[in-house]
Amino acid sequence: MSAPFSDRKAWLQTTGGVVGVLLLVQFLTGILLAFYYVPSVDHAHTTVSYIEKVVSSGSWLRSLHHYGSQWLALFVFLHVVRLFLSKAYVNRTLAWIVAVVMLGLVMAAAGTGYSLPWDARAFFSTRVAEGLMSGLPLVGRNARFWVLGGNDISTITLSRFFAVHVLIVPFAIMGVIAWQFGRRACWTNLSRNAIVGGVVFVALAIWCAKFPAPLGPAVEAMTADYLPRPGAQFLWLYELLKYVPGGLGSIVGVILPGMGLAILLLLPRLKAQRLLGSTVLGVLTAGIVTMTIVSYVSDRSNSHTREQLARQTAEEAKWRSEPFNPQLLQASQRESQTTSAAPVMYTKFCVNCHGPHGEGAQQGTLRFPPLLDVAAKPRRTTEDIVSLLKDPTAYGLEPPMRSFKDKLTEEQMREIAAWVVQLKR
Amino acid sequence: MKQMNTDKAQTSKSRRSFLGMLPLGVLAGVVVSIGGAAFRFLRPRLSAPNEQWLDVAALSELRGPQPVAKKIVAEQISGWAVTTEEHSVFVLPEKNNQVFSTICPHAGCEVSWEQSTNRFACPCHDSYFAADGSRISGPAPRGLDALPSRVQDGKLQVQYRVQDGETQA
Repeated sequence: MSAPFSDRKAWLQTTGGVVGVLLLVQFLTGILLAFYYVPSVDHAHTTVSYIEKVVSSGSWLRSLHHYGSQWLALFVFLHVVRLFLSKAYVNRTLAWIVAVVMLGLVMAAAGTGYSLPWDARAFFSTRVAEGLMSGLPLVGRNARFWVLGGNDISTITLSRFFAVHVLIVPFAIMGVIAWQFGRRACWTNLSRNAIVGGVVFVALAIWCAKFPAPLGPAVEAMTADYLPRPGAQFLWLYELLKYVPGGLGSIVGVILPGMGLAILLLLPRLKAQRLLGSTVLGVLTAGIVTMTIVSYVSDRSNSHTREQLARQTAEEAKWRSEPFNPQLLQASQRESQTTSAAPVMYTKFCVNCHGPHGEGAQQGTLRFPPLLDVAAKPRRTTEDIVSLLKDPTAYGLEPPMRSFKDKLTEEQMREIAAWVVQLKR
Repeated sequence: MKQMNTDKAQTSKSRRSFLGMLPLGVLAGVVVSIGGAAFRFLRPRLSAPNEQWLDVAALSELRGPQPVAKKIVAEQISGWAVTTEEHSVFVLPEKNNQVFSTICPHAGCEVSWEQSTNRFACPCHDSYFAADGSRISGPAPRGLDALPSRVQDGKLQVQYRVQDGETQA
């Protein structure tokens, strides 16, 4: 209790308290959500809908977790800036390193958390993560496979994001906190930190009671005109990726921010600390603030986008007012399958690779994917398969899968697609 | 003057102890408000007993002196999922097609019909029941539980319910 209570500067030195309170909120609400959430592409959206619509206080708790993560990112960033301004990288290096590491971890938690509800926006955020990984120089191909757990986004990918989100990142965060407080037990300015943290919590609680966390349509129900928008803490990245050509996205979106964090982390050991640190923080702040504002403005100013986003909001409100529909779990007994014969054109063009019953095939080292249960995957409706037959690369498929635009008529493609979607294991 | 100083010291002391409690208060506030929601969030959701009438078999199939084993399929809503579960029942054609659950009222194992000794036997703790479902011997507190049944359009139907074990005896 060194400074008088009216000391304004001391009131500003409370970002740590806010971060602490928000972290506590994330841990508590995260644990609660895990009681209902199931990390599988079959059940994720259903279980999140159940939390939103049926479980008491579910919508509020999920909203706390959702918006809390955005507030947390903001306050950890402010905390880093505040420590920088007080030259913590010289006189409180431990607190400084912990804050920078925490910023990275909080962003990692947010990035992996976005995929979990497996709604349309989660699917696109996973796609963007996939794209950012695959664009990395040298390691891109393998990084993509490692992130996805295979060569395409699947339920395995969702499990990976889940494990990182609920096990690895939280353990790392707890480790970092334990490290800080294990080494330095002195508490200064504690009551101001508590007061500001409490005020921020009350504000968040009220905000979340008013605004439920968004949940887009399930991936299967997504329409082609759906416009995904990431959470506030990633809007800058989303907007930035609009301006950089393809492969450069990974440099701008992953490598540069990563290097920025690395420089901040090593700042206590570097020369010209003030200059380097203020450059990095200045560029980050300017970039994030500008890009976030630009993204809001461009969404508002484009009438087509504005209308589509309004439509999506209206659809979400409509979905929210509909009662919850439990999902039928088919345990052991599946109705006896009466698979009709394959269309003639399937037998002509597709059989060699995908097998007479869609079971897939192996030719030398090439393995061709089975088509069984393909309709359960995202973006594989009859319509999708017709478009995929015309332009496989647009669906992320690689040669030897080729376009059949010139070989099959629309009707033949439709016949094949209708037959393929009903294939079951 | 001296008095004033002591007063000041005391105020500052009580102020300090109030401020010392603040962090704990805030912590408690966060935990309690989320904890209250957590209680509602985690409260078990009990479903009303299933009143659906489920087909067991056509009356014409139910003949003879022996209990007839049948399977019924019940749909059950558990939280966000609808599951279909298969249950076994015994029908006693000789006793006006009375239907019994195969769940032993002792510990919940499934009883089976022993043709050689003409009785139901529980494989877990050796409870035995007569052909009419009444208890013969063993730790079971009562006979096999009868299920509500009716005949509709020439078919025997039941309402499937699971009764608690010994607590209800």
